[in-house]
Amino acid sequence: MPSVRLRLLATLLALCLLPAFAIRFAIAQHTGIDTYAITNARIVPVSGATIERGAVVFRNGLITAVGANVTIPSDARVIDGAGLTVYPGLIDSYTNLALPEAPPAPAGGGGGGGAFLLIQQAAQPRPGGPNSTQPEGLQPETLVEDVIRTGGTDLESARNAGFTSALTLPRSGIWIGQSALINLAGGTPQQMIIKSPVAMHVSFTPLRGTYPGSLMGVFAQLRQMLLDAQRYSDSMKIYDRSPRGVRRPDADRSLAALIPVLEGRMPVVMLANSEREITRALDLASEFKLKLIIAGGREAGRVTDRLVKQNVPVLLSLNLPRRTTAAMPEADPEPLRTLRERVEAQQTAGQLAKAKVRFGFQSGSLPNASDIMVNANRTIENGLSAQDALRAFTVWPAEILGAGDQLGSIEVGKIANLTITRGDLFDRNSRITHVFIDGKPVDLRPAPAAAGAPRATLTGAWALSVNLGEEKTATLNLRQEGDRLTGSIQGQLGTGEISNASTGSEIRFTIVLNLEGQTKEATFVGTMTGNELRGSVTVDGRAPGTFTATRATPN
Amino acid sequence: MRRIIVTLLYISIVCAMPLGVTRAQARADNPSETLIRNATVLTITHGTLANTDVLIRNGKIAGVGKGLTAGANARIIDGAGKFVMPGIIDCHSHSMLDTINEGTLAVTSMVRTSDVLNPTDIDLYRELAGGVTTLNLLHGSANPIGGLNTVVKIKFGRPASEFIFPGAMPGIKFALGENVKRSSNTNLPGATRRYPSTRMGVEETIRDAFTRARDYKKTWDEYKSAVAKGNKNLMPPRRDLQLEPLVEILEGKRYVHAHCYIASEILMLISLADEFGFKIKTFQHVLEGYKVAKEIAAHGAGASTFADSWAYKIEAYDAIPYNMAILTRAGVVVSVNSDSDERARRLNIEAAKAMHWGDLTEEQALKLITLNPAIQLGIQDRVGSIEVGKDADLAIWNAHPFSVYARVDTTIIDGDVFFDRQQDLSRRADLTKERAALEQADPNRPAARGTAPQAPGRRRPSGHEDDDIWEGERP
Repeated sequence: MPSVRLRLLATLLALCLLPAFAIRFAIAQHTGIDTYAITNARIVPVSGATIERGAVVFRNGLITAVGANVTIPSDARVIDGAGLTVYPGLIDSYTNLALPEAPPAPAGGGGGGGAFLLIQQAAQPRPGGPNSTQPEGLQPETLVEDVIRTGGTDLESARNAGFTSALTLPRSGIWIGQSALINLAGGTPQQMIIKSPVAMHVSFTPLRGTYPGSLMGVFAQLRQMLLDAQRYSDSMKIYDRSPRGVRRPDADRSLAALIPVLEGRMPVVMLANSEREITRALDLASEFKLKLIIAGGREAGRVTDRLVKQNVPVLLSLNLPRRTTAAMPEADPEPLRTLRERVEAQQTAGQLAKAKVRFGFQSGSLPNASDIMVNANRTIENGLSAQDALRAFTVWPAEILGAGDQLGSIEVGKIANLTITRGDLFDRNSRITHVFIDGKPVDLRPAPAAAGAPRATLTGAWALSVNLGEEKTATLNLRQEGDRLTGSIQGQLGTGEISNASTGSEIRFTIVLNLEGQTKEATFVGTMTGNELRGSVTVDGRAPGTFTATRATPN
Repeated sequence: MRRIIVTLLYISIVCAMPLGVTRAQARADNPSETLIRNATVLTITHGTLANTDVLIRNGKIAGVGKGLTAGANARIIDGAGKFVMPGIIDCHSHSMLDTINEGTLAVTSMVRTSDVLNPTDIDLYRELAGGVTTLNLLHGSANPIGGLNTVVKIKFGRPASEFIFPGAMPGIKFALGENVKRSSNTNLPGATRRYPSTRMGVEETIRDAFTRARDYKKTWDEYKSAVAKGNKNLMPPRRDLQLEPLVEILEGKRYVHAHCYIASEILMLISLADEFGFKIKTFQHVLEGYKVAKEIAAHGAGASTFADSWAYKIEAYDAIPYNMAILTRAGVVVSVNSDSDERARRLNIEAAKAMHWGDLTEEQALKLITLNPAIQLGIQDRVGSIEVGKDADLAIWNAHPFSVYARVDTTIIDGDVFFDRQQDLSRRADLTKERAALEQADPNRPAARGTAPQAPGRRRPSGHEDDDIWEGERP
């Protein structure tokens, strides 16, 4: 009898241990290395004081040690972090990352006919999803985790910009559906998910040609569905109590999905930018006692009193408005309000921090990921402290999204998501050297060509003149394919390939230059005007200089 | 020439935009007492009083008479040569609304204009400059039963929640005729027309809605009485936001403001309302009201009409400028409304036309834009005349408001100044400076290259006189 017991115990023990071994083995086999140590680096843990020289160790995707005096495990791959700064991985708190390509916009409906025609074309509302009781655009049951996918250039360019995690949500709708917090790399969609669902999402965007076709209708329908969900919940409770003799309520996935929202178990993120949109969201949340989060928040600085009072955080867009069109002398002047709004949008982050409104930054679908830091800098120049800006990229969104134990700071036990830079993150000339996601290094490459509006290409030969104390010249050969920029340099400054290039409103690239017999990495940041490139050059250990490049073969 | 005028008008409008600091200033600068001295006071209910003072205390009219005194901190307005009248009430407006029509369905009583208020709409400021203080914000006329209205005081510079007129009767927009059956719309091949497309269909739509509302009320009454008897296993009926306002109409708790034109449809709605036992509070536009003035009066409905706007569509062909006078003499409570952000700035002149067309007295004509619309909105105990105890909503004019030369110097709501002509003029230089500074700010500097800026779209097209058929949002 005792022996039988012992054997049983042994079997159970083996059964318990076997999967654990198998998993460890599988991971180790898959990646080869699962332990890393970044040493001699400046570490900004966000949760505590900056460590000027220290190490971060992480194993199997989790941070195991951080500090100035850390014993480096013998099996760790050591990365010398001298001259580098280690930050918690940046979080983009409102995106459509990892989603399949958007389907082409439905044909028709637009044109010169205007809204009258749209109404008249209101033929049949398109059903939204399998067995949905609501037309397309009103599916709170939609789960983004059902559709996310690995790979994709969108993920790649986000990683290149230093982002390691993101909240991702379906693309459109009034009830947009439920979001997931994901890591921006992983072998399978399942591996990417940190938390799902995170929140219910709402936008005040009318449907086309079917009810609700106006902003008024949107609010009426949001209200009606919340009331219907409440009734559904009440009816189900009655039915579950005593199903015999009670007519069963019709099953409804859409309404069922709203019950956690009504019970305050799931936050609702409402996309609202203007003061009045935010006010409307706050009013609706009060009416139904919803746990609200504002996304967008461009004018949130004007309603900080109410945001504080209702304890509503903001996922603040860094897609700051700016004038994109040239001033035409014959055009009507822009309204003063528009001019004010563009200037004031830069101040919102600082106002929120001052009023102690919790907020996290989001990219706001900025087409060029490198503009995110440019715009973050604009919020710093307009009243936000650099420390708070970093928090708004890390610990604050992690907490708002309910992942404060997993993400947002460099602390033992947290997910090893790290963004490593040469230079301060918010320095215009810093550069991201390494990104780790789930403890694994990410291959950083310039994003390949993205489809978009054709812009003036940089392709061609340029006569480069660099002034770093004394003037030196070289020929710069650039080749641009979409957003991807490659090229080389030849002349007084040596010979080499450009790297870390990005294009957009700002053009940046790095070249290894030959300066007084020494090879130095120089970072060029400039803008193109006509056939001229003009900007600044920074070289480690030198005063910043300037450069101009003139197109040798004007186009 | 027209272009120059338009440009000048635009410049003056841009310049007239008050500074961003107005909100804070408005509160700080407004003392609890204001004394208007020695003005001509158009009381509406007690005649025109020459050389009279009006005392305002804590937002209410505290005294009307001669030789009134106020505390040391009171704001004193010299009324010599000026005319004080109650703030004008516009019984049909779409200002301040981000969207006007939910036109996808024939019955949209679930939508609320109060959800889409834009307190920064610049038209509001222009209306203040025309002496207007209260608006009836109505849903458009795209469907037989439209959305719920909002009555507001134009507290420009304050949050939308402070605009809401406390205690105003809740209302709803109904509409009949061409807009509803969408007769002026071109129908695309293959596209389905939204029902109804005839006046018969309009009647059927309204009857059907009230039939459903009656059943709905019955269902809820039965449920409530069953629950009261202790039945716990009963499923609650659905709360239907579309039918709830209609039940309120049946219970007399909500006013119906019905857009209409021709006599036959007016009679149709009266008999339909009689059938269901509710009242139409106002007929809006009601250009053929003069043909059925007795019937309108017998029903107890009001009429809110245009002075002399007609022939802009078939159903407006039979309009006559004597409509206001004929309806008034038949005993109907008549108001003249704007239905237009532009006309709203000169409702004083619209009312004056009633003295020309049909010989209404000055007091009757003044009532068209003051006490009568107040009655139509259920706010006559608060506004519409200058009487002790009423809200201090006043417009101070430099001449009699029926003069074409009259303009507003000061508009006061609840004792606070919301428009002051001198202040406006003095701010214009600051605005010019602010604009110059803003143009230099980085986000406002145009990109090196770029397409020409798009001309801002018109907020509402001018194609319709009763332009509330507009759908509210550009596609």
